[in-house]
Amino acid sequence: MAKSENKSALSKILGALLSLKLTIVCLGMLMVLVVACTLAQVDMGTNGAVNAFMRSFVVWWKLPGTAYSIPVFPGGTTVGAILAVNLVVSQLRGLKRTWSKAGLWLVHIGLVLLVAAEFVSAALQVDARLTIEEGQTIDYIERPQEFELAILDTTDPKHDEVYGVPESLLKQGGTIAINGTPLSIRVKQYFKNTELGRKEEGAPPSLATQGVGTGVAIKEAPAVTADDDRNHPAAFIEPFVGSKSYGVWLAAAGLGAPQNFVHEGRTYQLAMRPRREYLPYKLTLKKFSHDVYPGTDIPKNFSSLVHLVDKGAGEERDVLIFMNQPLRYAGRTFYQASFGKNDTLSVLQVVENPGWLLPYISCALVTLGLLIHFAISLRRAQRKRQRQAAKDANLDSDQVTA
Amino acid sequence: MKKKDIQTQNPTWAKYLPWLAAIVTLIGAVSGLFGSGQVRNMDVQALGRLPVLEGGRVKPLDSIARNSLLVIRSQQSFRYNDRTVGPDEWLADVLFRADIADDQPIFVINDPDVLALMGIKQSSERYFSFKTLSPYIDEIQKQSEAAHPIDAKQRTRYQSAIVNLFDRLYLYHKLKHSVQVAGTEGGLTQEIKDVAVPGAEERQAVLRELGLFRAFPGAKVSDWRSVGEALRDARNGQPLDKGLAPMARVSDAWAKQDAPAFNAAVGELLTQARPDEMATAKSELIFNIAQPFYTGMVIYVIALLLLFVSWARWPGLLQPVAFAVLLVGVLVHTAGLTSRVILQGRPPVTNLYSSAVFVGWGAVVLGAILEWIYRKGFGTAVAAASGFASLIVAHHLASDGDTMEMMRAVLDSNFWLATHVVTITIGYSGTFLAGAIAIGWTIRRHVVKVQDPAADKALVAMCYGIVCFAVLFSFVGTVLGGIWAEQSWGRFWGWDPKENGALLIVLWNAIILHARWGGYARDRGIMTMAIFGNIITSLSWFGVNMLGVGLHSYGFMDKAFWALVAFGSSQLLFMLFALLPPRFWSGNRVAAPRTPVQA
Repeated sequence: MAKSENKSALSKILGALLSLKLTIVCLGMLMVLVVACTLAQVDMGTNGAVNAFMRSFVVWWKLPGTAYSIPVFPGGTTVGAILAVNLVVSQLRGLKRTWSKAGLWLVHIGLVLLVAAEFVSAALQVDARLTIEEGQTIDYIERPQEFELAILDTTDPKHDEVYGVPESLLKQGGTIAINGTPLSIRVKQYFKNTELGRKEEGAPPSLATQGVGTGVAIKEAPAVTADDDRNHPAAFIEPFVGSKSYGVWLAAAGLGAPQNFVHEGRTYQLAMRPRREYLPYKLTLKKFSHDVYPGTDIPKNFSSLVHLVDKGAGEERDVLIFMNQPLRYAGRTFYQASFGKNDTLSVLQVVENPGWLLPYISCALVTLGLLIHFAISLRRAQRKRQRQAAKDANLDSDQVTA
Repeated sequence: MKKKDIQTQNPTWAKYLPWLAAIVTLIGAVSGLFGSGQVRNMDVQALGRLPVLEGGRVKPLDSIARNSLLVIRSQQSFRYNDRTVGPDEWLADVLFRADIADDQPIFVINDPDVLALMGIKQSSERYFSFKTLSPYIDEIQKQSEAAHPIDAKQRTRYQSAIVNLFDRLYLYHKLKHSVQVAGTEGGLTQEIKDVAVPGAEERQAVLRELGLFRAFPGAKVSDWRSVGEALRDARNGQPLDKGLAPMARVSDAWAKQDAPAFNAAVGELLTQARPDEMATAKSELIFNIAQPFYTGMVIYVIALLLLFVSWARWPGLLQPVAFAVLLVGVLVHTAGLTSRVILQGRPPVTNLYSSAVFVGWGAVVLGAILEWIYRKGFGTAVAAASGFASLIVAHHLASDGDTMEMMRAVLDSNFWLATHVVTITIGYSGTFLAGAIAIGWTIRRHVVKVQDPAADKALVAMCYGIVCFAVLFSFVGTVLGGIWAEQSWGRFWGWDPKENGALLIVLWNAIILHARWGGYARDRGIMTMAIFGNIITSLSWFGVNMLGVGLHSYGFMDKAFWALVAFGSSQLLFMLFALLPPRFWSGNRVAAPRTPVQA
């Protein structure tokens, strides 16, 4: 008895999962989410809205006037996952494996792949920037949304050793050992976003005891999520070795002056800067061009002529990066994104997405599938009409003979 | 049997009636091309043929005249002193006889607050001359500068209107100073004589600063020179540009209204242009005069009216005639679209304006195909209605000026414009056409007294077929857009408003299809959903541009907000009527005898 009940429960669940109703409900919910995400972009910025509505399990609504949020709607991740399961299950259980359904098979496989691609890029895509001036050679990319505390060993004038402490560690606070050096740091205080100003006369003393930070007033600001806004994190840190302290320093984004201290003959520099990732190859910007249509300021083209040197792979060549024509190299793609400094500075968007090929495959599958399916349907409809016409003709001739 | 009845009812000449109608319509459509183009024996159209460089491309002076007048007055010609002043004549006055042009009422002002600023009471008179406005220019400028820093979306109606008025005054001011400094004694002729005289330098600088277009060709597009630049170069010891003297003679002749001298000087000026540029400019001039999209709009209305009449009387006779007229409309529309493609050297959709033209074209062609298959008049009806509606939309979008502007860098890709943009636009066409068919079905339900189940069935089948078509194109278009984005911005999908809009169309069409396959929605449900597709498409086509966020916001517009709201409401109303159960249908209300009619 118990067994058959189990079975019916299982088949009920399966039945629900492969029902077309669930598909329609999911598609409808996805529409609601997409509309909400689009409208929310006006206030939250694209990133914020996408994280709140599309890349979340649940959509939260903050009760006005309180600190509490209540779940109001399933998030895009949940709906997407249900839709994908529904697709796969109905594909395996519901859809007949006949040639007449071949088109729909292709369509659905392609769609599952498309949903998978969005999951892959949500999880694995890494966006970074490469800012480079004409004549400059650069072997790192920066993540403009993430910061790190960089401790640079500048003793060797030709070559800096860099030790980075990511923002997430600073946020946790406490003591952090800097691997590869005898140093450790204590995080006294950390801010996600700040506004810096000159310290007024008579203001309470800064936490900092060393460096330019002693003369800087720091005000905490709310963290921002909009696309064009940047956070300016700051932290008071105290480097030490054993029991010897080097004082408390302020490291903040936007603080230009270099701050150095010397430990056992080695000079260390402190800086809060966008998180850097070093590349095993180097790029030199030879020329940035920005053309406009004559007599107007409508941009015609932006392009960066870049020299790529990869000693490890033995590659050395020139590459022209321009609109709609990125450089794909070693798993990363470099796009022309922006420019500055009187057209001598170029900003390249650097994207690492292992799933970038999936949408291409998916697109091909779905298009082919839809074409096949509609072709089959059209032929069926045509035959039906022909049969009908033949029947009518027969009727007509019958009547005439009658 | 029924077929035979119709054939016996109609006289033999009825066979030729559609052909006759088509020929008459076609003659009407092209008749505009054969005007003399002369004003008081002066060939202003020849002047309009002069190739000039403006907005980054070489175009005939006529295009500048039309687009400027369209921006300033919202019309391409106007009535003044009991005669119609065309764009070329108007421009000649602005360039060479500014005092005459200053008297012409060309500035349209509708905003009551702007009128109040100048102490003018709102009346039926909406058009004002430069002379009327000139005492208030300082105040207009002051008010406009105050409103200018405010983001275009945040401006009040008055602020938008005053900024807009100032922009139009400035455009007029620039035009007036494109050939000579307006109001100076002797005009360009004196300017050439005085090229090296002290004081001339300032006037040349004014001409360089304000001149709207470059009239003198160079070897490369970037070598073209304006009058001010040519004068400066002459001052710096370079030989006088060969175009300057004839231009000065054109100016003098127009000022004196000396027809032979004017025609001779214009002819001389035209010889300066390169033959290929001359040919392109001439083609664009013909395109301008033919106004194919306006003509198409008129033809679609005629087809629609003929069809309405056919439903009341002589259906067998008038339905083919309406279809024939519609086909001429398609021909004119297609010719216009093809000319744009050739003139611009670009795929058909390059901006919001051309997307409207193309959406309409797609819907009309699809509707014509449906009519070809079903021959019930519905295809003609929905095709003519959607063609007319989309060309009206396009007509209103054109008031921003040149509709063939150059493409911004990221859009400068014929491959992607031809694939992504065209497919997605065809997807819009399909969704709109499905909605139009559904509206037709709804109207029939509530207007037609005699039931015709076969016709209703045909409409549902048409709608279903078109939704399938739309889902294919909108999906493929959306994914192609993703691939373009992947290649130019570094991500396949970024949840950008325009992308989301396209996704909504795909999702909605997919819902319609699945609801039908699952049997959850029958005829009424499918039709209601198809009408809702109109709302979704209009929002993703125009609505997302109003948000002003995201990478696609190059098509920004704010004027159409209320139009969009009105459209959405009307569609909701249609949906309500579509949903009403059968006992509300007119056929059942009058309790007509249920006579099944064989198709």
